Amino acid sequence: MTPIAGGVALNLAFGFSILTIIVLFLYTRYGDERLFLTGQRLALGVSFFVFLATFILSYQLLISNFDIDYVARYTSLETPFIYKISALWAGQSGSLLFWLFILSIYATITILQNQSKHHTLMPWVIICLAIIQLFFLVLTNFITNPFMPTEAEFIVTNGNGLNPLLQNVTMAIHPPTLYLGYVGFSVPFAFAISALINKDTSPLWIQSIRRWTLVAWLFLSSGIILGGWWAYQELGWGGYWAWDPVENASFMPWLTATAFLHSIIIQEKKDMLRIWNMVLIILTFTLCIFGTFLTRSGVMSSVHSFTASSLGPIFLVFVFLILIVSFSIMYINRNDLKSKKRMESFTSRESGFLFNNLVFVVMCFSVFWGTLFPVISEAVRGTKITVGPPFFNQINIPIGLILLALTGIGPLLAWRKTGKQSLIKNFTFPILSGLIGASFFIFIGLKGTVVISFSLCVFVLATISKEFARGILARTKKFNETIITAFYRMISKNRSRYGGYIVHVGIVFMFVGFTGHAFDKEKEFSLKVGETDHVAGYEFTLLKMSESERPNHYAWISDIRVTDNKGAFVTNLYPEKRVYFHKNPDVNRRQPHSELDIYSTLNQDIYSIFSAVDTENSIAFIKIMVNPLVRWVWIGGYILVIGTMIALWPRKD
Amino acid sequence: MDFIRDYSLVLIFFILPIIFVLQPLLLDRIKNVDSKIDLSSLKRKKRLLYRQIKELEMEFDIGNVNKDDFEIARKDLKIEVSEVIATLNKK
Repeated sequence: MTPIAGGVALNLAFGFSILTIIVLFLYTRYGDERLFLTGQRLALGVSFFVFLATFILSYQLLISNFDIDYVARYTSLETPFIYKISALWAGQSGSLLFWLFILSIYATITILQNQSKHHTLMPWVIICLAIIQLFFLVLTNFITNPFMPTEAEFIVTNGNGLNPLLQNVTMAIHPPTLYLGYVGFSVPFAFAISALINKDTSPLWIQSIRRWTLVAWLFLSSGIILGGWWAYQELGWGGYWAWDPVENASFMPWLTATAFLHSIIIQEKKDMLRIWNMVLIILTFTLCIFGTFLTRSGVMSSVHSFTASSLGPIFLVFVFLILIVSFSIMYINRNDLKSKKRMESFTSRESGFLFNNLVFVVMCFSVFWGTLFPVISEAVRGTKITVGPPFFNQINIPIGLILLALTGIGPLLAWRKTGKQSLIKNFTFPILSGLIGASFFIFIGLKGTVVISFSLCVFVLATISKEFARGILARTKKFNETIITAFYRMISKNRSRYGGYIVHVGIVFMFVGFTGHAFDKEKEFSLKVGETDHVAGYEFTLLKMSESERPNHYAWISDIRVTDNKGAFVTNLYPEKRVYFHKNPDVNRRQPHSELDIYSTLNQDIYSIFSAVDTENSIAFIKIMVNPLVRWVWIGGYILVIGTMIALWPRKD
Repeated sequence: MDFIRDYSLVLIFFILPIIFVLQPLLLDRIKNVDSKIDLSSLKRKKRLLYRQIKELEMEFDIGNVNKDDFEIARKDLKIEVSEVIATLNKK
């Protein structure tokens, strides 16, 4: 019964979502509270049926019911428990259901949280969310249904199993995190559209969506970092970011969302940039749908895309509809969005924020252009011209450095206008720190962009330290507190501000890690047991090569001893060459895979890849990469998450 | 037994949500929602304004706002918060 129940649940969710839209629309016309209550409950019903369908599919994956095509395609009897769960988002229809599932969680929270809040906004908020749910329900009901039965004319005794690249714990966490980010922007988008329709420009809803945006931003940032971590430890090319279309798809909404998070502060505090904020949140949500389109349509080839389908045109139509409808509503209500206040000075925090916003949007456009250029060139000239990392790096490194500089400049500017004396007073310490840093980096032999990047990191850290010091001093003076008490109370009473600064520290550490990429070294070689080779001052000796048969793969494991140039022991590395589905009688269905081993320190990573094995002659083909400062990227990521959580933590009023 | 189990599941998972959704339509008209909502949003507005005053004081203490701007902005916020309190008291 249950697989059929899954399909029926999706049908009912589809019907309920249409009813939600109709009933709430009638409420906005006639104002009968019974309609509002029914609409709310219908929307909760949509979520309930989506939860039910997701639960049923997950259960079918766990019990390996190969009568369902999706289960047979993405799991096998050998698939470990955790990957049977993660198979839910490994394929097309499952991942769309999963998108819908997360959206339904958000929709439920939004409805329950706002039962006695935003009464005028909520009908349109729910309508917007129901329309987005309806789109995904159309896909999962009529285009790519996850409950379709297996087409084979025989009893399927075992499934295909999950792609080995996806059999990684990070990969089990990364897509849900990223989806929580993508989908999370639906809520601020829905609030923004509702506020536009209701001509509501009060700061109350802005405060609500700021929190929602921060939640979505936290998940999107964590998802991007986890994706980089997965690529680094699983794909075996030694990097974490390759300007791949799917990576870019998540980066673009991150850029506009980051701009939005900054500019909404101006609207909250100064009631400025209303139109700009609307544009940013509409763009962010549209880019999230566009990102799902890039990942799911197969229009771009990507190391992160594990599905290809004909969903592209449907997604594109939805993207255009969002843009046309949203900007039309905005145009109709343009007079209500005009702010009475104007920027008064170039040297003000407001203009600092605006400039930072413009740079974020320029960066987003450059990534958008580079990502879509192959498709555009093919459409216009008939030849697919791919732009690779050199294009993106050439444009985005300078823009990134400008953003880094602005991270340091912004907090030093006062609201409305910064006087000449204040400018000198505020900038002296950070600029001096940056210059001392630059002299030191040049002295130790660094050059060019590397010096600029490291010096800017010093400059920004100096600014943030100064901000913390100013805050602590002000409290110790005003409230006669000790430094520790002042530090604690300053953060707890201004979580959003100081959480933001902590996020900036995380970003600085990530830039330190990015800059380390300039010093990467690599070498490929083959070793027999007992043989040695050298890379970047380290000696690599193959001590032994063993074999092991595990539940879902067969592995050759190399044991490599690493010593430094003085002969001191550093570590042992155990990279593996694996063959997944090794028991499959069809040799072509067996999948080779290299499992890396990484020795990581704050200074550098030693990254080993077991590329191939010659079993007859016991030769291991090894690739070693020495990547300086990579760990700072992940440390920066942790700090970013901590900072955002501080900013998000509820405060006592 | 399977028959009974399947139909019990149908009842629980499909019929009950439908009853839950349709129930408000069977009620008499719901009244007095607006006044409750107004009260709650006014209280939230009051909290937000208090918070803005505290943030403004912090900005002034660390030197991000000059004295004239600080006094004008604080005065405006205080007027706004007293208006909200007055409306709340009337309700």
